[in-house]
Amino acid sequence: MNGTLAIPTAPPGFGRAFEHPVTQGIVIATVGVLVAASLIILALQLTHRIGPALRKELWLRTGAWGVLLPLMLGPVLAGREWTIAAVTLLGIFCLREYDRATGLFREYLLAGVVALGILLVNFAALDHWYGFYVALWPLMGVLIAVATIPQDRPEGYIQRVGLATFAFMLFGAGLAHLGYMANDPGYRPLVLLLLTAVALNDVAAFTFGKLFGRRKMLPATSPNKTIAGALGALTTTTLLVAFVSGPIFAGTAMEPLWLRLVLGVIVSVAGQLGDLMLSSIKRDLGIKDMGTVLPGHGGVLDRFNSLLLVSPAVFHFLRWIMDLGAAGPHRLITG
Amino acid sequence: MKWELRPARDLGLSPMDRLRSQGREAGLGSLAAQGVWRRMVRGYLAVAHRLVVEGRENLPPAPPYVLIGNHSSHLDALTLCSVLRGAAARRGYALAAGDFFFSSGASSAFAAYAVNALPVWRRRTTRKELNTLRDRLVEDSLVYILFPEGTRSRDGEMAKFQMGLGTLVAGTPVPVVPCYLEGAHKAWPPDARFPKPSPLVLRIGKPLHFAGQPNEKAGWAAIAEQSEAAVRALIR
Repeated sequence: MNGTLAIPTAPPGFGRAFEHPVTQGIVIATVGVLVAASLIILALQLTHRIGPALRKELWLRTGAWGVLLPLMLGPVLAGREWTIAAVTLLGIFCLREYDRATGLFREYLLAGVVALGILLVNFAALDHWYGFYVALWPLMGVLIAVATIPQDRPEGYIQRVGLATFAFMLFGAGLAHLGYMANDPGYRPLVLLLLTAVALNDVAAFTFGKLFGRRKMLPATSPNKTIAGALGALTTTTLLVAFVSGPIFAGTAMEPLWLRLVLGVIVSVAGQLGDLMLSSIKRDLGIKDMGTVLPGHGGVLDRFNSLLLVSPAVFHFLRWIMDLGAAGPHRLITG
Repeated sequence: MKWELRPARDLGLSPMDRLRSQGREAGLGSLAAQGVWRRMVRGYLAVAHRLVVEGRENLPPAPPYVLIGNHSSHLDALTLCSVLRGAAARRGYALAAGDFFFSSGASSAFAAYAVNALPVWRRRTTRKELNTLRDRLVEDSLVYILFPEGTRSRDGEMAKFQMGLGTLVAGTPVPVVPCYLEGAHKAWPPDARFPKPSPLVLRIGKPLHFAGQPNEKAGWAAIAEQSEAAVRALIR
C-alpha cells in the first residue's frame, strides 16, 4: 500500500511497540552496544589499562547514554503522543540553551514568542493538521518580525529578529518534523532508524577521522573534523540506512534500493551539516559547549545538533516519494 | 548598528554553580517563577501586615539603583522587593547571605528562582565576586537590595553600617535609596520560626549619590556613614 508504512496489527501496548522486526533489531542493537561498552570499560578498569581520569570520563559518557537512550527510545516505542511530547520537550531544551548562548534570552518577549511557536507547531503535529503545520513557518516569521515593534526600540532589531527566526526554524519548524512522522501508523522503526543512524553517523565520522584522517575539512569551523571522517561516515550511514530501511519500506514507493541509498545520503549529509552548523554557531560565540546537562557530551544541543537538519530533509523527501504522513485521520483535536 | 552576541554570564556553569553564581541571569522560566512569587508576597504583605509604603515617589524612574535599609527580619528583603514595579522588579536582586540561603540545593533553588537572590559570602567574598556585582549593576542595569548592617539585628536596634555597599557604588552614577522598615522586628524576630501578622510601615527616602567618592577605603567609609545617617533620619 502506498502512503503509509506497514500498519501495526497487534493490540496497543507492549506487543505493538515491538511488533516490527526492525524495531526489535534496533532496540536490541543499541542496548547491546551500551552493555558491550560497559563491559569493555569494566575490563580495562579491572586490568588497570586506563587511568582514573579517563575511567571517570568513560563512565560518565556511558552513564549519560544510559539515561539518554531510554529517554529517546522510550517515547518512540510508547506511541504517537509520547513521541510528539518528547520532540516538543527537546525543542524547548534546545531553545533554552540557544537563548542563553546567543543572548536572545534577554529579549523576554521574543524568547517567549519562539517558545510559543514551538508549542504551536508541535500541537499542529499532534492534531495531524498539515495545513496549519506548514502555515506556521511563514506565520511565525511574521509574528517574530512584528512582536517587538510596539516596544519602539529599533536598536538591535535585525539581530534579535534574526536570532529568533533562526531559533524557530531549527527547534520549532525543523525539529517538529520528527514528531510529525509519528502520524504514520508504522512510524516506530523509521524514527528509531533516524535516531540511531544520526548517532552512528557521528561515531563513524569520529572513528574514520581517527584512523585515516589527514586533511582537515573546515579547520576554522571545527578543527577535529577530517575529510576521511566525513567520507567514512557518508559511506557507513548510507549503507546502513539503505540496508535497514528495506523491511520498513517494503510495499511502498520507497522500496527501490536506489531511493533508499538517496535517503541514506540525505541522513548522513544533513547530519554532518547540522553538526557543522552548531560548530559555526559556537565558534562565532566563542564558546566550547552549549551547556553542561549531559556529562561528557556538553549540552542537549551538542548531542542533538545532527537531528535538526535531518528531520525536515528526510520528512519532505519521504513525503514527496511516498506521501508519508498524508493518510488520515486528520485534525484529531480541532476536528 | 551594533551587533553584539553576549552569552549569559553564567554560561557553562553546572546547575548548582549557576544557582550560586553572582553572574546568574534569569531566563524565561525564572522570570515566570519570580513573577508568581512576587505577586504572592505582595498579597501576603498587604493582607497579613497591612503594609503602608511612604515616599514611593523617591524611587528613581529606571534602574540601575540600590535599595538599602535596616535589617531586623526575613521580611525586610521581601518587603523591599515588593515595592519594585516593571523592569526594576524583573531586574531586582536581593544580596543575601550565602552561608544561610545558598547552603543546600533546595534553599539555593528557592533563593534563586523565587526570591532572585545573589549570594554574598560573609567575610569570604572575593575581589572578583565583588567586581562582578559592581560591573553588573551598571552594565545590566540592575536593582540591588542589600542591608549594610551585614546581619539581622537581634534586638531591633539598627547596627553600624559596613563598608561593602561602598565597593559597589563608589565613583559610579548609581543612586542609593535609603529605606526604613518599621515593625519587622516585632512581626518576625530572629528567634521566631514564623512571622506573626502585625503592621509594617516602609519609608523610602531621597536617593543619595556617590559619584564623587573614591573607590577605596576612605570613600567606602564615607558612603557607609552617610547612608546610615540617611536611613536613621527616616526613623520616627
